[in-house]
Amino acid sequence: MVKEGAWGKFAHDVTHRGVSAWLLAGLLLGFYYLLYYTETFTPWGKALGLGSKWGFYGMLYTLAVLGGGAYMLRRYKHNRYQIVRTSVVMFVQFTFAFATPLLLKAFQQPEYYFSYLWPLKFDYFNPYVLFNLPLPMLLYSVVGSLVMVPLLAVFFGKRWYCSWVCGCGGLANTTGEPWRHLSDKSTASWRFERVAIYSVLGLCVVLTLLLFVSFGIKNRIPELTKFITQYQYFYGLLVVTWLSGILGVVLYPINGTRVWCRFFCPMAALLGVMHKVGRFQIRVKDNMCISCGMCSTYCEMGIDVRAYAQANQSFTRASCVGCGMCAEVCPRGVLRLENVSKPQPQFQPLVQITLR
Amino acid sequence: MPTPSMHYLIVGNGVAGVSAALKLREREQEAKIALLSGESDYFFSRTALMYAYMDQMSLKDLEPYERGKYKDLRIDLIKGWMSDLDAEARLVTLSDGRTIRYDKLLLATGSLARQTDWPGLAQVKEGVVNFVTLQDLGRCEALTPSTREAVVVGGGLIGVELVECLLHHGRKITFLVKDPWYWPVALGGEEGEMINQHIRNHGVDLRLNEQVTEVFAGEGGRIRGVRLASGAEVPCQMLGVAIGVTPQIEFLRRAKTPPALNRGIVVDEAFLTSLPDVYAAGDCAEITLAETKPFVEQIWYSAKRHGMLAAQAMLGDPIHYQKPLFFNSAKFFEIEYTTVGQVNDAPQDAEHFFWKHPHKEASIRLVTRNGALIGANLLGARWDHTVFERWVREHRSRAFVLAHLREAQFDFEFGRLDLRPLYEKELVHG
Repeated sequence: MVKEGAWGKFAHDVTHRGVSAWLLAGLLLGFYYLLYYTETFTPWGKALGLGSKWGFYGMLYTLAVLGGGAYMLRRYKHNRYQIVRTSVVMFVQFTFAFATPLLLKAFQQPEYYFSYLWPLKFDYFNPYVLFNLPLPMLLYSVVGSLVMVPLLAVFFGKRWYCSWVCGCGGLANTTGEPWRHLSDKSTASWRFERVAIYSVLGLCVVLTLLLFVSFGIKNRIPELTKFITQYQYFYGLLVVTWLSGILGVVLYPINGTRVWCRFFCPMAALLGVMHKVGRFQIRVKDNMCISCGMCSTYCEMGIDVRAYAQANQSFTRASCVGCGMCAEVCPRGVLRLENVSKPQPQFQPLVQITLR
Repeated sequence: MPTPSMHYLIVGNGVAGVSAALKLREREQEAKIALLSGESDYFFSRTALMYAYMDQMSLKDLEPYERGKYKDLRIDLIKGWMSDLDAEARLVTLSDGRTIRYDKLLLATGSLARQTDWPGLAQVKEGVVNFVTLQDLGRCEALTPSTREAVVVGGGLIGVELVECLLHHGRKITFLVKDPWYWPVALGGEEGEMINQHIRNHGVDLRLNEQVTEVFAGEGGRIRGVRLASGAEVPCQMLGVAIGVTPQIEFLRRAKTPPALNRGIVVDEAFLTSLPDVYAAGDCAEITLAETKPFVEQIWYSAKRHGMLAAQAMLGDPIHYQKPLFFNSAKFFEIEYTTVGQVNDAPQDAEHFFWKHPHKEASIRLVTRNGALIGANLLGARWDHTVFERWVREHRSRAFVLAHLREAQFDFEFGRLDLRPLYEKELVHG
């Protein structure tokens, strides 16, 4: 039952795909159109000493993460995991995704984001960019993506990145919090997720390889170089601009906060594979689940957590970003996020039935 | 020539009925399985009614399985109320006259809210609610907008859930508990005191040792207030009655061939009723075993267990039900509760150890008998009940349990309940 009063009705409407939710999505789309396709915000960025419209956007984004983070800290003050995680994500956003790039620019250094790595930021493996970076950043890009990312994912799950460090996850888990329940829990959406996310990862890996080819052959085959340039443009437009930059946020009020992370992010895809074979799991307390479904409802990745909980099955799902909200909302304390040292049990189907 | 397949009919699509249906399908690919319910089209989680009332979940979110699953598993869903049973003809009749033939029947009709008869109740046409069924939820939601003040009667789980919901909607609530503290069946006095305080801190007018003696009807038969045993009158536009549940079996008394009925539908150790091929499971079953008093188990966990076991019995497995070591869980506003084994129902000579955290709303009660753990009540933190179950089975001493408590902690990462104050106190007192 919807809470009474104007605020109660609005709060329900805007978080349950009501008219105001669609309006908000429209406003966001308008904002992103102005940001990406016009120079409306350029003077604002310059006036604030942030250099460009992107500096201005970075400031807005950081303010949203800090403001939403403060809301999270207040709302979940009883849950230390949420406090630690939210504090880290706020710190990372402010330090590595906002202040450091600005400082670097002030010192005539390239604008480098230590919180972003390949394949989410494919430019950091783009030889044209990579080999122009100062040595420490070049090393960080290579070692970070090839060693740090997989190693941390194996030990702590993909959560170390997706809900502790990443800016996309940072916004989703702070300002996006009121919309997390809108994620689609159907099996059909899970099917789509598996096809979509690994397709984007494939596109990204192919792009990176092609860029190395292009870099290596130095325009000796103009047709190939031209094709690679077009491919890069296509990837940039579809994946970087639209799926990650624009739709990822515009769809918050319609499909929840993790549309980009769940269906398209190549980094999430890669991390998911690592954490499937790693130590992270959501442990299910035997026989204690009452099937209420709060966990599934509030899973931003659309995982049907209840299906595992009511089947007494501890699990690791590739898409799980370890936000910990299933454990938070569980009224019977059935779920626990943990890094276990023993090997993972083999996946078992929930109901062992062979269909004709 | 294919053998004619069995037809299993299950009455009630609650957790017992659905668990049975899934188990039957898991084992029998060919059988015809039908689930009958008058309450809802699809199995929903009754335990989550409160979250729907508070708009934290939609009604569809309450359904534990995707709707397509029943079709995939070829479980027929039939909407309707059972009204008659003819065990000789193997025929179930519905209230609209339809009939369904079965080869094996499972009655999993669950519970209904217990009713009472206060003076003046007959004049009240509107405003008295329970909080057990989907229809109850609908009535509560319909009445809430026209309610400023509500009275909730009953110091159990459903009572406190209803209080929490009404409080969420900003209503002024008087919560009546007939005992000296909340839920004395499960909680000791010290725990009760902590919960009393917690409930009051939420702004609820909790009245202990208090009962309704009379109810008053107002305009149009809408409730306008109640008189209490202390003589006080409390105005209200809604009266929530949550004084327990009772097996839903009354309709069977009028059946052509009723099964043996007592408090519930009498079943044996294999969930078989007095009628051939008619089984009963969940809240509605009264289990009669050789060595113990007949008992009814009315919690989610027992219903789920009964459903699966009854299905196995229907499939021909030898089932000898034994009442397992009790465990349960609950949540009173923010305080989580886990219990294992015997606590308030422990024998007289059992010893109780109670510790309350000095700064937090958290407590531990360990019950031992002849030096061995027999039960525990744990509040305000998360615990793995299976570890306590193991300790009970292993007859662990209190000292052992205290020394190993950490192994049973199930709190959030970084959020483990700090047990140091417990050990400091223990050291001081030896």
